[in-house]
Parts: sequence; C-alpha cells; structure tokens
Amino acid sequence: MAPLIEARELTKKYGAHVALDRANLNVEAGRIVGLIGPNGAGKTSALRAILGLTHYEGQLTVLGREPFRDRTALMNDCCFIADVAVLPSWLRVDQAIDFVAGVHPRFRRDRATAFLAKTQISGKRRMRELSKGMKTQVHLALTMAIDAKLLVLDEPTLGLDILARRAFYDALVNDYMDETRTILITTHQVEEVENLLTDIIFIDKGRIVLDTSLEDVATRFAAVAVKADRLDAARAEKPFYERQILGKVVLYFESVDAGKLAAFGELHTPSVSDLFVAKLSGGAA
Amino acid sequence: MNTNTWLIRREFWENRAIWMLPAVFGALLILAALFGQVSIPKLTSQLEMHEAAGAFQVIVGVMFYVVMSVYSTWYLLDCLYADRKDRSILFWKSLPISDAKTVLSKLIVGMVLIPLVYFAAADATALIAAFILSIRARAAIGSALWQPDVWWQMQVLWVYCIITTALWYLPIAGWLMLVSAWAKRAVMLWAILPPLLLYLLERVFFGTHTIGNVLARRMAGWPWAAFNGAKHVWTEGSGVVDNNGVPVTVWHLINPSGFFTSAETWIGAAVGIALIVAAIQLRLRRTEI
Repeated sequence: MAPLIEARELTKKYGAHVALDRANLNVEAGRIVGLIGPNGAGKTSALRAILGLTHYEGQLTVLGREPFRDRTALMNDCCFIADVAVLPSWLRVDQAIDFVAGVHPRFRRDRATAFLAKTQISGKRRMRELSKGMKTQVHLALTMAIDAKLLVLDEPTLGLDILARRAFYDALVNDYMDETRTILITTHQVEEVENLLTDIIFIDKGRIVLDTSLEDVATRFAAVAVKADRLDAARAEKPFYERQILGKVVLYFESVDAGKLAAFGELHTPSVSDLFVAKLSGGAA
Repeated sequence: MNTNTWLIRREFWENRAIWMLPAVFGALLILAALFGQVSIPKLTSQLEMHEAAGAFQVIVGVMFYVVMSVYSTWYLLDCLYADRKDRSILFWKSLPISDAKTVLSKLIVGMVLIPLVYFAAADATALIAAFILSIRARAAIGSALWQPDVWWQMQVLWVYCIITTALWYLPIAGWLMLVSAWAKRAVMLWAILPPLLLYLLERVFFGTHTIGNVLARRMAGWPWAAFNGAKHVWTEGSGVVDNNGVPVTVWHLINPSGFFTSAETWIGAAVGIALIVAAIQLRLRRTEI
C-alpha cells in the first residue's frame, strides 16, 4: 500500500530563508507519528504544505492528492487542528456544529454532541466566552466527529494547563484512534507525546534528521552509562552524543552491536526526548 | 442546504451589523418621525401630493443607501482580513470549502445581500414613517404619502440601483477584497494609499490626470452612468419632467439601455473580475498574517 503521506525533496523558502530543505518523509496508515523539532525547525512549514495551505517545491502526495491544488477535496478525508485559539470569537458552539455538519460530508453530529454533553459547555456560548481549555474541547469535538483518514495536530496543547493537556491526549487515544486512522502531531514538547507515538520524525533546520518507528529505535539506538575505565574504548565505537549525568558519562550509539556495548557499562534504550536531544545536539557537535 | 447557503449564513452570524445597523438606523428615523418637528406646507394639487410622496420615498432611500455604502465598503475591506487576523482562517480552511467559494460568498453578501437588507429596512421604515406622518400632519398632507404607484416606482428604483451599483462598483469591491486578502495590517490605509500614490506620481512626473480622472469617474460617476441625469430629455416641456425639473416617473429617471450598453460599465466589470480572481489566488496562499 502506498504511504498516506509521501514527500520527496520537499522544499519551502520564505525569501532567502529556507524553512524546509529537500525533506523526504513517509507516513504509513494507522500510525501515530510525532513530527518533532525545536522552534523554527520547519515543523509548521511541513504541516502547512501537507495540508495544502502553502505552495511548495518538490513532490508531495497526501492521501493520493497534491495538497495545494486539491485542498478542498483533501479536506474531506483529512482534518486538522492548527492551534487552540483558531475558533473565531463570535462563533457560537451550536453554530459551529451546524456549520460543520452543513459543509462536511463526513461529519457525525451525534458524535460531536455526545462529546460536548460530557463537558460543561452549553451550545449558546460564544467562543470568546470560553476558556482556552473549553475552546480546545469544542474544537476537538468538531474534529473528532469527522470520519477522517488523517488527523493533523499542530502544537495542539499550546497554552493549556496540565489537566487540559492530559484530557486532550486521553480523548485522542481512547475515543478517536483506531486502525483506520492516522495521526500526525507536531510538538516541541516531546515528553508529552512520547507514550502515544508509534513513529517519530525529527526535524531540524528544515532537514529530516530521523524518520523511524519506535520499534526500530529500540534495536537501532542504545545509551550506555559507561564505566570510567572503559571510556576510551567506548568512545572508539563513535558515539554520536555524549552526556554527563550525576558524575556518570552516558554515550549514545546508533547501529552498534548491543553485545559489544554491554561490555562498557549499563545499557538501555534512550527515551524519545533523550534521543531527540542527543540527535540534535550531537549533529551540531 | 448546500455549502454556499452555509457560507452566507456564516457571514450573517459573524456580521450581525448587517441587519442591526439598518434596524437601528430605521428606528432612529421612525423616532424622528414620531417626535421631530413637522412643518409641512399644505399640499393643494394632485401633482404636489404626488411629488411629496416621491420626495419622501427618495429621501428615505438615499439615507439608507448612504449608510449602506459606508457599511459595505467596510465589510468588503474586512471580510478576508478578520479571520487572518485572529487566525480562525485555519479553522475555515480545515473544512472542505474552496477558497473561490469563500471569496464569492463574501462578494455576494457585500454587493447583493447587504443592499437587499437595506432595501427591506428602507421599505419598512418608509411605511411606518409615512403612517406616523400622515397622522401627525393629516391637515397638511392627508393621504398624500399613500400612493401605491409611487411605492412601486421606488421598488423598481431600488432593484435598479442594486443591480447597477453591483456592476459599476465591482472594480472597487474587487480592489477592497484584494487588499483585504493581502494586507498584514492597516487595510484602510492600504486601500487608499496605492491609488493616491499613483495619482500623485502621474501628476508630478507627467503633469497629467488620467489616473485621477478614471478613479474619480469610477467613484462618483455611477449616477451619471445609470440615470438620465444631465441628458437633454430632462429639459422642461419635454413631457418627462414636471415644473420643478423632476422626472415624472422612475422610467424616465433610469437609463438601463445607456448603462448596460456602455463600454465603461463592462470594462469596469472586467477589471473587477480580474481583481476578484487575484483575491482568490491570494486567499489560496495567505493563511496568516
């Protein structure tokens, strides 16, 4: 089966600034993919291109369509939440539901109302009267009621408190995700999404640094807390990142035999956030 | 309901001033009719009564038309800018609605539906105010304001004005929407400055006024293009004007054959369409400020 999203040499320039530099990426159906990078890395540019919101160079197919040319048709099968603040302040909750129900062939009104019934939000409220967390819930109710193949979330929890964030991700995983759907999330807060992702894509300075599944991370990457007397031997295996924690030196390796590494010290699979830091600062060193 | 109907409903939800402003304005006029000073000289002849009815209708209509023009201008200038400013454009663009449909829905609201709302408001206001005045000044005017044929002529005039302004001002509307889709801030300034600058540059460097004349003609020329204003048929004794030089009927006033066959009308409309196409293209690309 062809990948849901396929980008080849995807490039986006703003004047002299290159936001995306010949990026290649694949997203397969049924996955939860984290597009992770520091601020200004090109995450948002990549998403804007995927959603047909911006013109780009290179090849890009999303659900078999060319996003910029076919945005209208694409939005039948793909939905997105760009930022929590984007519901217009004058819109009433019931108007929002009526409107989306009116224009979206795959919107299921019963699902949206069932979701909202669980909250304290009444249909007559305008968005400007709602807190940020409530607005997110409304947006989520609208979006999750759409039978879309691809859901794109761009920094969806920005500006939310910890309770609202947790509720957001719980709803996403428990009420929404199933094998027919694919979710693409961008965030610069890796810890928050670590546990729900199946795939990660690291992006830095417009380039894709890593594109892999979490199963592969375990076999491909290793972090070793190296014993002091084995440090030179361990460094000879070309770690891509080195870090000192509480007096211990931790070396990060890619594609080095685990049996060999175990001899240097305690071996573990790096977490996504550790790997992120290692990959991005390692590349610069 | 289809997508287009929803888009139009959306505009009425967002811009409640579309109907609130004419409602408030109409209410003010009715209050004026109720409590203002009425000093109408006694009407004696049938002709005078007929003229009073016509003048009354036209005065109410013109007042509404002026308010409407100001509001429509503001609406068109804001319509593609507001949702970029508050970033809600990202929500609208997450729905399967083409940018062309969005832009056209706003154009239709600005150029047809807002005028129709004002038309209805003017009719209602004229009706109520005529009723009030007929009672308050019954000695002077009696039932002069109740003339069905004058009322019908006013309906014709409104419809004619809405159609001709929509066509004549299409390039202005297109320009306003283009600025609205493009500007990062200060839409009003961006709408005015470039044409003004072009006018000044031409004047300074070439000493000519072509751009200024074209713009002035487009801004102020609609009455001359759409009506029999300065035409010789208006002269006294021609049978189509009364003793005060006022056209006898609306059919003598309007000039559809002149308006719809004038190259000026259609060149302007073509420029308007080009500007609207450009606004759609900008809407495709510009998602945020």
